[in-house]
Amino acid sequence: MNKTLLQLAGLFSSLSLSAFGGGKVVLPSMHQASVGEYHWMTSQEFVDLFSISMAAPGPSMMVVTLVGLKACLPYGPAIAILGALVATLAMFVPSSILVYFAGNWWDHWKESPWRHSVMNAILPISTGLILAATWIITKTSIHSVPTAIMGIVALALMLFTKINPVLMMGMAGLISWVFLR
Amino acid sequence: MPGKARHPDPEEVAGFSPSTSLRVKVSLLEIAGLFCFIGLTSFGGGITAYIRRMVVTQKRWLTDDEFMPGLGLVQLLPGANVVGLSVYIGNHLKGPIGSVVALGSLLVPPFVSTCALGFLYFHAGHTADAHAVLAGVTAAACGLMASMVFEAGGEAIKGAFDVVLILITFALVRFAHLHVPYVILIVAPLAIWWHRPRPPKLKAPDTGDSTVS
Repeated sequence: MNKTLLQLAGLFSSLSLSAFGGGKVVLPSMHQASVGEYHWMTSQEFVDLFSISMAAPGPSMMVVTLVGLKACLPYGPAIAILGALVATLAMFVPSSILVYFAGNWWDHWKESPWRHSVMNAILPISTGLILAATWIITKTSIHSVPTAIMGIVALALMLFTKINPVLMMGMAGLISWVFLR
Repeated sequence: MPGKARHPDPEEVAGFSPSTSLRVKVSLLEIAGLFCFIGLTSFGGGITAYIRRMVVTQKRWLTDDEFMPGLGLVQLLPGANVVGLSVYIGNHLKGPIGSVVALGSLLVPPFVSTCALGFLYFHAGHTADAHAVLAGVTAAACGLMASMVFEAGGEAIKGAFDVVLILITFALVRFAHLHVPYVILIVAPLAIWWHRPRPPKLKAPDTGDSTVS
């Protein structure tokens, strides 16, 4: 139990400080660690938890809460909640402390030309990481023609309409329940 | 931001100069209320524009001159923008305790609802009904993630080398199975070097100052 809690704390605090461009960029590492290295869950379960976190309220990275919950579930519900808490704090606190302290000397270099360099360098890296995350999620979850079509329709809706993503995921769940059950 | 013309929202024009630094009195309870609301209604995209509308335009807790540097800061640092902004705005209004209250209020309600959904999933997730619903939700989530690739790529790609950087990053994760921190340590120096400040004659088109997305 303590070992799992330490693993959660170590994994998510290191990912917290690597999430340049938002939490989604560290999904590939989160998947690799929870499925391949620590065996907390199967790939399918990870993708399920990720989808739940996307459809639920809160910052998109609440998937860490679910990973912590699942990792500690074998030790009982109370420890599972402790695991969720440890994972959530580890994901959100280190980056927040960094923002807090960086804010104090930000005034000194916010006009520096390097600021744009760093921003322009982060953008393609986070794009590549989101691409990798999308690849993993899609490869694990889309195995049939109907779900592939739903994914493509969802992509088109997101790109070409202003549909609310939560509403879209809810509708997709409903359609899938009616037709694919 | 001197020299950055921006289209003002109609509601903020009258009697409001974005450069006046007025220290408004905001209670911790008000900060908690706002960030609770943001936490429960934020579902990713468009949230920074929404926070700006709430704290700058409607509540006038911060001026644009105070908000925009904060946004620029959190875009450069790791972590979700909404999380960084809660810390920045909380600190601006009430110091460290304001940061803690803002971050806590942002995270506690979603934490509770997410745990509840998690237990529901572990309890009933293996039924045929749950499988069917999740298959649809996940398919839509794939589409949503793919749209984020397009969105992020649209901002990132300013030249052919950016495409190379995207592909190197992808390959290091996908084929070399490297963890994200190592991938960043490898690719970031190359990317920063490529995008280093150049003399004006070689300067790439101005990409604009920390745009609200």
